[in-house]
Order: sequence, then C-alpha cells, then structure tokens
Amino acid sequence: MTNRQRPALIASLVTWPLVLLIAFPLLWMLLTSVKPQAELFTTPPDFLPNAITFEHYRRVLEETAFLQYFRNSLVVAVSTTLLVVVVAVLGAYSLVRFAYRGRELLASLVLFTYLLPSVVLISPLYLMLVKLGLANTLASLVAAYTSFALPYALWLLRSFMAGIPEDLEAAAMVDGASRMGAFVDVVLPQALPGIISTALFSFILAWNEYLYALVLVNSDEARPLTTGVMTMLISAFNIEWSLLMAASVMMSVPLIVIFAFFQKYLTSGFGAGGVKG
Amino acid sequence: MVQVVFDKVRKAFGDTVTIPGLDLVIESGEFVSLLGPSGCGKSTTLRMLAGLEQPSGGRISIGGRDVANLPPAERDIAMVFQSYALYPHMTVAENIRYPLRKRGVPKPEQATRLAEVAALLQLEPLLDRKPRQLSGGQQQRVALGRALVRDPSVFLLDEPLSNLDAALRAHMRAELIELHRRLGKTMVYVTHDQLEAMTMSTRIAVMKDGVLQQFAPPAEIYDRPANRFVAGFIGTPSMALAEATLLRDGGGARLQIGAMMIDLPGRHAAAAPCAVTVGIRPEDIVVGQGPWQALVRLVEPTGHETIVALEAGDLALTARIPGGPRLHAGETVAFDVNRARLHLFAADDGHRLALDITDTTPPRSA
Amino acid sequence: MAEAALPGARLERRDALLGLALIAPTVLVLGAVIVYPLLSAIYLSLFSLYTPTLEGHWVGLANYRAVFGSGGFWSALATTAVWTVGTLTLQVLFGLAMALLLHQNILFRSLARSLVLFPYFLSTVVAVLVWRWLFNDLYGVVNHALMAAGIIDAPVSWLGTMPNAMLSIIVVGAWKFFPFVVIAILARLQTIPEALYEAARIDGAGPVSRFFDITLPQLRDVLTIVILLRTVWDFKEFDLIYLMTGGGPVNGTRTLPLIVYQQAFGLNQMGLAAAHAVAMMLVMLVFMLAYLRRAGGRVA
Repeated sequence: MTNRQRPALIASLVTWPLVLLIAFPLLWMLLTSVKPQAELFTTPPDFLPNAITFEHYRRVLEETAFLQYFRNSLVVAVSTTLLVVVVAVLGAYSLVRFAYRGRELLASLVLFTYLLPSVVLISPLYLMLVKLGLANTLASLVAAYTSFALPYALWLLRSFMAGIPEDLEAAAMVDGASRMGAFVDVVLPQALPGIISTALFSFILAWNEYLYALVLVNSDEARPLTTGVMTMLISAFNIEWSLLMAASVMMSVPLIVIFAFFQKYLTSGFGAGGVKG
Repeated sequence: MVQVVFDKVRKAFGDTVTIPGLDLVIESGEFVSLLGPSGCGKSTTLRMLAGLEQPSGGRISIGGRDVANLPPAERDIAMVFQSYALYPHMTVAENIRYPLRKRGVPKPEQATRLAEVAALLQLEPLLDRKPRQLSGGQQQRVALGRALVRDPSVFLLDEPLSNLDAALRAHMRAELIELHRRLGKTMVYVTHDQLEAMTMSTRIAVMKDGVLQQFAPPAEIYDRPANRFVAGFIGTPSMALAEATLLRDGGGARLQIGAMMIDLPGRHAAAAPCAVTVGIRPEDIVVGQGPWQALVRLVEPTGHETIVALEAGDLALTARIPGGPRLHAGETVAFDVNRARLHLFAADDGHRLALDITDTTPPRSA
Repeated sequence: MAEAALPGARLERRDALLGLALIAPTVLVLGAVIVYPLLSAIYLSLFSLYTPTLEGHWVGLANYRAVFGSGGFWSALATTAVWTVGTLTLQVLFGLAMALLLHQNILFRSLARSLVLFPYFLSTVVAVLVWRWLFNDLYGVVNHALMAAGIIDAPVSWLGTMPNAMLSIIVVGAWKFFPFVVIAILARLQTIPEALYEAARIDGAGPVSRFFDITLPQLRDVLTIVILLRTVWDFKEFDLIYLMTGGGPVNGTRTLPLIVYQQAFGLNQMGLAAAHAVAMMLVMLVFMLAYLRRAGGRVA
C-alpha cells in the first residue's frame, strides 16, 4: 500500500500519538512508583517526578508478603507450563499424525474447552480439590490452571505440528529410526519454535490468572501475586497507590522480559492458536 | 540376490480401492521405473515397499524376506523423496551421517563413508551448511547422498528430479544412470515423466488406476505397447489413435480408417471382420508422397525436426519430419503411413492384438 | 494371537497403540480438570448446596426456575450484552485502525508495535490497578486531563456511578484486549499480495476504493473469526469487571460470570450458581458453535 523504502511521515504523525496514548497508563504506573508519596496528591499532577525514590519498592519487598507471592506465582506458573507442555506435545503429535476412532471428536472437544468460561468449572473444581485435600495448596492452582492452559497448548501445538512435513518422519524411519525415534530426532527440533511459543503462553496465562486463585487459595502460603497484590489493596486502610504501582511494576517484570526477548514467538503463537484455527 | 516381489498386493483406503491387486517381480540389480499419470498408485506402491504404508492384502518381499511386519528401518532400503525431506536443523554432513548413526556405525567409519559419498556427489564444500542454504540441485544431491551412504539392498526414489529445472534434470538423469551402472543395486524409481523412465530404466512398469498395464524394457514399451493406454501415454508427441475396421479382402485383409483403406498382410484376415483401434506414431507417417491427402493444420519447428498436425477427413494425425519446416499451415499435402509399424488394439478393451503387424518385425532398437 | 490375516497388521496395530498411548495423558488430564467438572456442574445445578458445609439436597429443576424466574439473570444478561457489544465494538474498530496504521512504514515501527501489543499480555490485575489509579476521583489523571481540556467542570466519579462505571470498564476492556485484533489483522495484512494493489492501481482505484475493494474483503475471514472469538471471551470476562467495579454500583455492571461467582462464594448457593453457569453457557453456545464451525472446519 505504501512505498516500502521511505518512512511514511504522515502515518507516523498519526500513529505515534495514539501509540503513546495507549502506552500512557503503563508509563504512569512507572512514574507513580518512583514519585515521593507527597507528589501524588498535587493538583494538577506533575508529569515527571521532581525527585526519584525507590522507597516504595523497598517497602513492598520488606513490609509485605510480596516475595512470598512472587515465589508462589513462579512455582505455579513454571509447574503448569512444564506439565502442560509435556502433555500437549505428546497429545498434539498424536492428534496430528495418528488415526484412531474419536480423534476428530477429541480435537473438537479441545477447541470447545478453549472457549469454556472458567466460572462454569470453578465450583466443581473447588469441590473436587477440597475433597482431594488440595485446597489452599499450590498444587490446586496447577490443576486448575491446567484446565485452560492445556486446551490452549494443544490447539497451538497441533497447528504448529501440522505444518511439519510428514516426509521428514518418513525419511527418518527409512533411515533407521523408530517411530518415536523419528519424533525425537525430527519432529521435536522442528516443533521447537512452537513449543517455546506454547510454553510462553502457558506461563503468561498462569502468571496472570486471578479467579481460580481467588477461590482456591486463602492463605498467604499459597497465594500467588494476582490475588496477593489485591489483598494488599483491600487490607490497607487508605490505598497506597505508590506501593501498588511499585508492586505492579515488579509483578510485570517477567512479562516484560518475555516480551522484550521472545516477542516473535508470542506473535507466531497468536496466529497459530486463536485465529487461523 | 535382492529380488523385490509384489504378490497380489492390494491397497484400499476405507472403501476406496486404489490398488486392486498388483503382481510385480523386480530382479536383482534392475532399475525399474513405476510410470503413470498422477493418482495411478505408483507412489503408494513405493511407500508400501518402504513400509510407510501397509498393504490391505497380498505380500511384499525383499530379497526373499516377507517384509509385512517389518518397520521401514528394518527393510534395508534407502529412499529419496520428492521433497528431498532433508532434516532442516541438521547440516549436510549430519544429514548424510544420520542413517549411519541410527544403525550404530562406529564414528570413524561414519567419517570415511561420509567422505566417500561427499566426493562422489561433489558435496565437500557444502558439508557444514544447512539445507536451506542450498540450491534445489544441491539439496537433491544431499538427499541422494543420504541414501547412498548406507549401501542398502534396494534404493527407492520418489520423483526425485521433479523439482529441478530442465537442464539440471537432464544432468541428474545422466548421473543416476552412471550411479546405477556403478553400484549395480536394485532401484525402484517413481516418475510421471516418461523421458526419465525411458532413458534410465532397465524395465518400466506402466500403471493406471492402480493396475499394472505393462512391465517391459523401454524399447518394447515403445515399440509394442500392450494396450491403447500405454500406446497413448508413451511417446511425445503421442501416437495418433483412431477407430477403424478390419475387413476381409479375398485372401488378405484391409484396414478401413474413415475414407482410407490400407492393405495388410493376409494373416490378419483370420480376425476380420472386427472393429479395432489403430495407432500410428508420428515418425511412421511419411509426408510429401503417398496415396492420401491431408490438410496441414499446424507446423511446429523444434529445430532438428518439425512436428506437423495433419487432418485427413475425420482423422487427426501428428507427423514428425526431420529438419526445418518445409510446409505451411493451410496447404494440402500427400502422405503415407509405414504399414509395417501400425499398432492395432481391440476396440472393446483396448488390448494389443497379437496378430498385428509389428509382431513380424523385430523391435526397433531404442 | 497368532499371525494376523492382514499383512503388516502387527505393524499397524503397534502404530495405533502408540497413537493412543500418546494421547492418553491428554485424555486423562482433560477428563479430570474439564469433562468431569463440566458434567458435575450440570449435576450440581440440580441440587441446593450450601458452600461452606457442602451439604445439600436434590431440588430438580427448581434452581432453573429460580434463575429464569427472577429478574437477576435477565438483567445480568442485558448488562453482559451491553458490556460485550460495547467493548467489542471499540476493540474491533480501534484494532482495525491501529493494524492499518502499524502496517504502514512508520518510524520506529517495531517499537510502536511492541508498545501497542503489550497491554494484552499484561496481568488484568495490574491493568485494573493502573486504571483505578487513573480513574481516581480526586487525584486521577483522567479527571485532571478532562478538566484541563474543559470537557468537565468538576471531578467525575468514574467507577461509583452509572453509566460512568459501564463506560469505564468498556474502555479499559477495549484498551486491554484490542491488541488481539491488531495482531490478527496485522498478520493477515502482511499476506495480502502486493500484486492485488498494483492491479487495482492500474485499474484506476484510489486509496479509498483500494481499501474497500481489496483490503476489507481480504480481511473478512479473519475479522469473522476474531469477532466470534472475542465475543465468547468478552462475554465470559470475569477478572476485569470484578476487579474494576465488583459489579457495582449496586448491580450496574454485574454481568453473568459475576452473578455465578457471587451466588457460589458470596451467597454460598453453589447449586444455584451452577444453574446460572449452565444457563450462561446455553446463551454462549450460539457463539461457540459459530466459532467451532468456522475454525473447527479446519481441524480435520
């Protein structure tokens, strides 16, 4: 549509203000978190802080259970990701390459669960996990998060694996590999970008989850960041926005890291998972 | 002695039968092409031989060993795929060494064999590259190298040249012929390109709709096509096929094609009268003299010869005449046919009539 | 069993068994965390169940009579519809516009793309905290900016009154989820062959007719899928609304997922909550099936 060589100046002038408007809330979060408390309540507010302070970060880390929540979130997100990726890599390979009765039905079921509202599953899952004695544990969160991360991962990987030429496996088998040998030697390396993408998505989904954590966990020992940070908001007498913004920034660090270094995997996973079908 | 035998091999996908029952014996050291239009079952046949697909019935054996329940890895075969199927994440050297690694060949021997194959196929400068950094021709050679490195008893090649450009294809044909001569291994080659099949094979298996039409050396396929399909499929431009009637004429026989009457040797009278299909190859038409007249529809000079489309009444013929164009579209010319090289097929099922003319002449050397 | 009748039968059976073995963990896990809970949700909806003690008794369809008979379900359905239509419209319009802009060869394009996409990957909790700070009655930037621009005279309560609260969650929802539309459309835009535009240019089409005659028709399929998917996902959105307004003021922004949660864990009526959930799924089923038909057609 445009001349590919020359930057479109007019388009830049239209786009960038919009981009900055979209990014503003995040920028404001960052600025608020480093402003001295007093500067928050000036009218009209100053855009840039007059003095930069990391006091709020120190207080979040030292005076709240933030680190405990962070550790919980990390454990839950990493465990969920590992579980989901292992199960989904095998399952997706089976769905793509093997023929058996019920395969189509299963694929449709996966797609269906991908759309299922969490609130439908929440009560029975809660009852089930209480019965198993898992309430208030990190394990209960891993189980619950698997319910949405696994269908997502299966759907994503199925689409990635369908793109690997079958000839490669055939060649490997002729060359002396068993079926699983061909899977390990050829399919896994080829699916690696898809696996990375799936792992990142699972991690992000688990890291950001709120509802299950709200219902399944009510002790600080097992509480992840999402509900933990909200507890900080609710328990405080008057809301300390500087603290919350500092906590928000720190809570977003893993996402920022993922986003900065692995963005291409996120966008490719996007195409494969939701939209192209 | 590595004989490959297909014994009543059948293949069905659900209710669709793609190969109703194939009998084929490939002798040790042969280069056999499976030739046919797309969907004729040639690739399925090859994949069943490789063990990548299972037959629905019948028996396949390689070197006297029933391979029914052997996975591809244990069939002692090597295969070159149309897509080359090079492992994208491995270098050229790793690709070629892969079959050796999978079979537990010791490292030093791997290196020796790799070096041999690389020298044979001139791959030395490419060994550290990844497949995507190679041209189509180079990828093809790597695929070939991966098959050659292991010294299997049978080589399977699935349209290995079809993704190359014309010049490279001609070059690789010559290399494959040379390779087969040098190795003396059994090779099964799937192609839809009759030029490949004709130039490289010791025998060609022509297939259509999963049924073997003819299995014979190239010259015989060309000179004595077993049926109307093979006659029309083999040869470029293709053989003219026309409905005709075989008549008795005193002690002899005559062939009536539309308004044309052709006298034939007397022994054909035995079958007459009957409806037949007559086939005339382009090089068996003589233009410029003869008892019949035809309108020149189209003149296609190719340089060393000229293809001429003729129309004689309802009969459409293609003639191949040596040299540059001496004719012009729209003019009328006299023509004759080489009676000794006419092909006759039964009008009903199209099989070659045993009593036909070329049976008396030895097959032309190809 | 001795040698099977068919050649290669043993090989084929081994292959089939391997396929089943690979899918087995998936089936087990999906069964445990989705199929079983889903079926028990339907089963639970026929009970009157007190959440803290988990004691209850069979009530048959009484819960459903309560759901459909009370005004709560229907007004929540209407609220959900307003929220879904509102936020989805903004997401699609803004997402389409942004995708078209980001497809241009603008300065620092990849940085612009990253900044635009980021809200989608951000935790809803963080998004809500930031926006609640922005919407703060006294010190929020939104009120200050609007007052400075002369649009309002006095600070407005964005989350405490209606229809402001609905407007606010719609805007925040649009901000959080429009990047999904951007990514999907951007990916599709990059696959439209340049030759189509060149042909149109030769045929005398201006920029406007090139957009309507080429770009939009090429985007139709992806837009349909995106709209269906986002309809389902916006409809079931819980976190954002619950954390922004808690369903208030009064029940002004109480959508169906919130009612389910409230019944189960606020009012401790787990059976009634399950009935609400099942009823909600029935409503969603239309869109789910539409999506399954569009996307699921490509499963095989």
